[in-house]
Parts: sequence; structure tokens; C-alpha cells
Amino acid sequence: MDHFPTNWGRPRNDYQDAYGTYPIHQRPRNPSTDAFSDAVKRTQQPIVTGTSVLGIKYKDGIMLAADNLASYGSLARFKDIQRLHAAGESTVIAASGDMSDFQYIQQLLEELMIEEFTEQDGHALGPAEIHEYLSQVLYARRSKINPLWNSLIVGGFKDGKKFLSYVDLLGTTYSASTIATGYGAYIAQPLLRKAVEGYEDVLTEEQALKIMEDNLRVLFYRDARSLNKFQIATITADGVRISEARQLDTSWSFAEGIRGYGAQTQ
Amino acid sequence: MLDMHSVPQQQPQGRQFNPYTENGGTILAIAGADFSVIAGDTRQSEGYSIQTRYAPKVFRLTDKAVLAVNGFAADGNMFVKKVRQRLEWYRHAHAKDMPIRAIARLIQTMLYARRFFPYYVYNILGGIEEDGTGAVYSFDPVGSYERETCRAAGAAQSLVQPFLDNQIYFKNQTPAAGTSFPSHLPLSTVLSLVIDSFTSATERHIEVGDGLEMYVVLARESTALQGVEGIGGVQEITMTEEGHRVFVIRRELKKD
Amino acid sequence: MFLTRSEYDRGVNTFSPEGRLFQVEYAIEAIKLGSTTVGIRTQEGVVLGVEKRVQSPLLESSSIEKIMEIDTHLGCAMSGLTADARTMIDHARVTAQNHSFTYDERIKVESVTQAVCDLALRFGESVHDEEAMMSRPFGVALLIAGIDELGPQLYHTDPSGTFMRYDAKAIGSGSEAAQSELQDKWSKQMTLREAHILTLRVLKQVMEEKLDQHNVQLAQVTKAKGFEILDEAQLKEIIDEM
Repeated sequence: MDHFPTNWGRPRNDYQDAYGTYPIHQRPRNPSTDAFSDAVKRTQQPIVTGTSVLGIKYKDGIMLAADNLASYGSLARFKDIQRLHAAGESTVIAASGDMSDFQYIQQLLEELMIEEFTEQDGHALGPAEIHEYLSQVLYARRSKINPLWNSLIVGGFKDGKKFLSYVDLLGTTYSASTIATGYGAYIAQPLLRKAVEGYEDVLTEEQALKIMEDNLRVLFYRDARSLNKFQIATITADGVRISEARQLDTSWSFAEGIRGYGAQTQ
Repeated sequence: MLDMHSVPQQQPQGRQFNPYTENGGTILAIAGADFSVIAGDTRQSEGYSIQTRYAPKVFRLTDKAVLAVNGFAADGNMFVKKVRQRLEWYRHAHAKDMPIRAIARLIQTMLYARRFFPYYVYNILGGIEEDGTGAVYSFDPVGSYERETCRAAGAAQSLVQPFLDNQIYFKNQTPAAGTSFPSHLPLSTVLSLVIDSFTSATERHIEVGDGLEMYVVLARESTALQGVEGIGGVQEITMTEEGHRVFVIRRELKKD
Repeated sequence: MFLTRSEYDRGVNTFSPEGRLFQVEYAIEAIKLGSTTVGIRTQEGVVLGVEKRVQSPLLESSSIEKIMEIDTHLGCAMSGLTADARTMIDHARVTAQNHSFTYDERIKVESVTQAVCDLALRFGESVHDEEAMMSRPFGVALLIAGIDELGPQLYHTDPSGTFMRYDAKAIGSGSEAAQSELQDKWSKQMTLREAHILTLRVLKQVMEEKLDQHNVQLAQVTKAKGFEILDEAQLKEIIDEM
């Protein structure tokens, strides 16, 4: 007899749990009926990738930045990919890592938002809920050793509160007033902290934008997988705004003066 | 000799996704006669990068049990979430808060249930036993556990535990003639030891720092709070009227 | 039109138009055919007593088992279709063991009673193409006695899955007379020994045979020694004292 009440009324599975060894509350699952499931390939590495994304808090809310490049290894494969995704009225997701996994996540969120909308219960998913949802999805996938290969920043503004959090392919999460993924964690993060920490409630949108552009420029100079074309998202009391793609003004004249490597030896 | 200079053999390259990482930090708990202190720093890191300066590792479960979780942060957060869920189910099924001894055993069964895909976390559970004594239970990632007087875990365990052994168990000390060492220390001494442990670990370990959260759990009618009026920033977070009291003390640690 | 009573009393899944489940009511009736069983709670502990009907001089009375241990701190006495009780007690035992394995503490008397009652309601349940495990309600009532942090407690369960806590309770064929006697004689300050004697007196009143140490059985749950069934020597001693 099955002494675990949580299993009652469900089909038994002697193959998986012959001796009823599951602790209480943990239910045996039925095996997949897909005969080809053994041959399903799991993500072992990202293929088409986006590089760093940045997020900061400022006076009016949250600002996120991402360039428009999707790389295929060292090949700059797609140069007008949007890596900022608005989810609802108060949240934007910025994604680095595998772009196909990101598109899948966008689909998930789209379905989720529609499902929640059709409830018509007066509740809308805010940034905190979306971040929790994504972290559960990403953690569940890593636990199946089949990760969604992304580092995501979730930025939002709801009920007068700023929200800025991170979640990655392992399900690791954290919040901070500045977040940078990938290469940006090394190059941009220290600069962001210096510019933002302690000024979260002071920085104007213009100042925040300048901080973002400065950091994207540094990344473009140093990160070989980055592009000088980018988009900015702001989430404030007025809602979500994702800018058109913009060019970064860069200066390479100093390169003339550099000596000692490459073809120039003198 | 020839081998050493030959081209390394081509090995079949099996790169596999690693579902784990380490997020640094240190936790620590000390049991008193009728109180318990559970502490952790608030830095979360990966490699040489600080991800955030404030990510709590210490969680109040009930008014007589506090859990500190250290290791892989994603596993830790999920584990705490599941423990809390089980505590609530228990409350509904048995119409009482789970005693700390039962929580300890529950944590063992939950950890061991994942013996072959472990939660990569070190747990320290502190609080008040049913008999009113201060208790500390420590666990390894797959569920081995024991009740102790004090325990440090995490990145700076190797720095902090010997200090605690010396200051709490009086290891390598001999009492003055005709005297003996106390088996339990007063709260003020314990708090000082905790603060010293973390400032020292912050000095010498790169993964420790930013902030310190100390939870103090007092048994019913405990007078342990007398004598620690000097400590600032004490915030009471007791939930029930059952008599046990919980406090949290937050302090800054060096951020470099 | 409405079906007649004889049509509604077949399925265990169908309420009658008056809102009754006849099979459950009949199961409760079945208990009234069982031998009388008594439970008394005192401050010191709980006493359980059963009548063992020795229908034949060739019957070994020691083989009649109507009081069983669930855990060291839990006992159970039954009346009705005692074979059904084996399934329930098996479940109670596993639940109690599972609890102490997972929580390193003794299960509460109410919790184990609840677990048994969850099982009692599983009649007529079947999923997909699986064979239903139970075809009818249990035909047995239990008196579950135990001690936990709330002190000594006595619970009564019936085939409908309902359970209630009692200071003293009688079930089985002589339960009506026995219950009114208990109502008269039970007092809050009763000692365990007084409860032993009251149990036997109540049983004696409703038994057809002359009560002796072979045709009754007593058990107790105390804080110090937990659950124990009294042996014939102890029984005789109490009978002599009556």
C-alpha cells in the first residue's frame, strides 16, 4: 500500500519508486513517453551570442543598455538585433548570452503575460514577479542540466519602487544599484559603481545616459564582440521606453600614435 | 624523458556544463545557555567579481530557528524556499511550529534526498531547543549533521573555526589553578567574538566583507540582552507572542 | 423519478436525494455488531479495554487481537470488522515511523488519527484505468490512545473518516449502555488504576459471559512506559480488586 497521501489518487509508478522510498510530499513523475527523448541534445554551449548588457538605477527609475550585435563566434553575424525586451508596462529584460535561448525566453514571457492578462483580475506582473519567474525557469533548466544560456538583467519601476536584478543560466540571482554582465562585469562594473553608487536618487536621465554611453564606448574599445550601435531602455513612472538604435561616437585617431605592435614596428 | 617533450596526447574533449558555482561568503553560529547567535556576511561574489554587496545568507525560519546557508547561492535560495514550504505544511498538518530538532532532521532528509545531485550548500541552523537551551546544528551538503556549541562555514571557515575553537571551546588554553572554563559565554562576549571573527575574515579573505548580519534568538524569559545595551542597530523581528524573541543586528564590513 | 432506497444504497459514490451515503451508514451499523471496546483518559495516561468473545471452548482466546500498538507512545483498540483495522493500523504505523524518521520526534496523537481518517475516505476512489484499492468503506471503528506534548489523549474514528477526542468512549455492541455508565462514572481526577477498574466494570456490565482474565484485554499508554498490553497476571490482579 502507498502510505504517502500526496501520491493518492495518482497513477503509481513501480518502475521509478518500487519501494515507496520517496520522502513525503515528493511525488514520483511518470517517465517521458517520447521514445526519442534519449537522443535529445541539450545546450552544451552558446552559439549565436550577445555580449555584455548594463543596468543602473537613476533618479527616475532604471536605465538598461545593450548593443545590437549578435555574434557567431568571432564573426559579427547579425548587426541589428534588439537585446532589450519589454515585458508588460513596468519591466524590461536585457539579455546577454545565447540569442536563441533569449528568443525562447521572450516567447515564454509573451505567453505568460497573455495568460496573466486574460485573468482580468486587476493584477499585472511587475519586475519582481517577472524576475522571480525567470529565476525559477533558469534554475529549473540548470537542474535538468539543460540550461538556458543567458545572463539577464531585469529592470523595472512599479509602485514608486525601482527594481534592478540579475539572473543567469545557473539560476544565480542578485540585486544591486549597478549590474553588468559578461565582459562588462570586469570593464564597466567598476566604472558604473563609481558613477552611480550613492547617487541613485540624484542622477538625472541625461547624466545616466552619459554614464551608459561612456561605458558602452569603453566596452566597444576593449570588447572584440561588441558593436558601436546600441539601444537604451528606461523604465520610469511614465512606463517603458526603448530607444531606436543609436551610433556611438568613437575616436580612433590615437591609434596613429601607437607603436610597438602589429605591422608598425617603428 | 621523451614523453615530456612530445606533443600532449589528443584527448577526447568532453566539455560539460557545470551546474554549480561558488558564491563566497562566510557564516557562523554560536549557542549560548539560553540564546543563539547566527551570523553571515552579505557579500556575494563569483571568481574575483563582487556581484552584490547585499545578498542575505541568514534567514529567520520561525521565532526559535534561524538558518544560515552558504555555498552556491542559487541552491541556497532554493533550499531555504523549500525548507520554508515544508515548515508551513508542517504547521498546517500538526498545528504547531516545528521544533528546531525536527527542523534539523528535516534538513538532513531534504539534503540527503538529493544525495546524487546535491544542493551545494553548507547549512548552519541556530535557535532555541524545546528545553529552552541555545542550539546550533551544522550540516554538510548531503545531510550529515550534529548539534554543536559553535560552527563556522564557508570561504573563511579555515580562518574563523580555529579562532572559535580557541575562544569558545578554550582549546590549547589551560585554566588557572583551581578554576575551570565556562561551558557557555554571555551574549556580549559572543557578539564581540562574532564581530571580531568577521572583521578578521574580511581582512584576510577576499570573498568576505561588505556587510554583517547577526541574528540573535532568545529563549523565553532570557535575560541575555542585559549587558549588550551598548551595541547599536539592534532591530527586533519577533513574529509570534510565544515568548521567544528574535533580533537582527546589521553592521558594515570593509568593502575592499 | 427518484430511485428507491435500495438503488441508492449500492454505490459508494452516490448521495441519496436526502443527502446520505448509505454504504457509510451501514458501515457504521456494522460496528454495532462488534464486541464492546472502551477507552478512558486520565491525567496519568489512557486505558483501552476490549471484550474478547470466546465463542468456543476450543478457541485460543490469546489469539484474539483487538488492541494493537501503533508506536511506542500510541495504541489502538477496535470494534467491528477487525480485519479492516489491519490496513488502517498498518498505515498508522508507517505514518508514525515516517514522521519520526523525517522529524526526529514522536507524531502527535491527533496527526496519526488524521492520517488514519484520510485513509478511511478512500473508498470508491480510482484513477484512470487503475484498479480501485478499496471497494467499500471500512467496517471498523477505532479508539486511538496516546501521549504527546499535549498530554494523554483518546480519539475515536468511524468509517466516515470523522474523528473526535473523548475523555471516555465506548464502541461496539454494548456501547450505548457502556457510554452512559462512563458518563456517570468518569471524573477528571481519576487515577490510572481507577480507570482500569472502571473499564472492566463497564465491560462486565455489557458482557454476556462472566468476565475473567481470558475474555477481556486491557492496555494502557503512560508517560513513563508508553504503550503496553497488560498480561493476564496483571489483569487478574485488577479483576480481583474490582
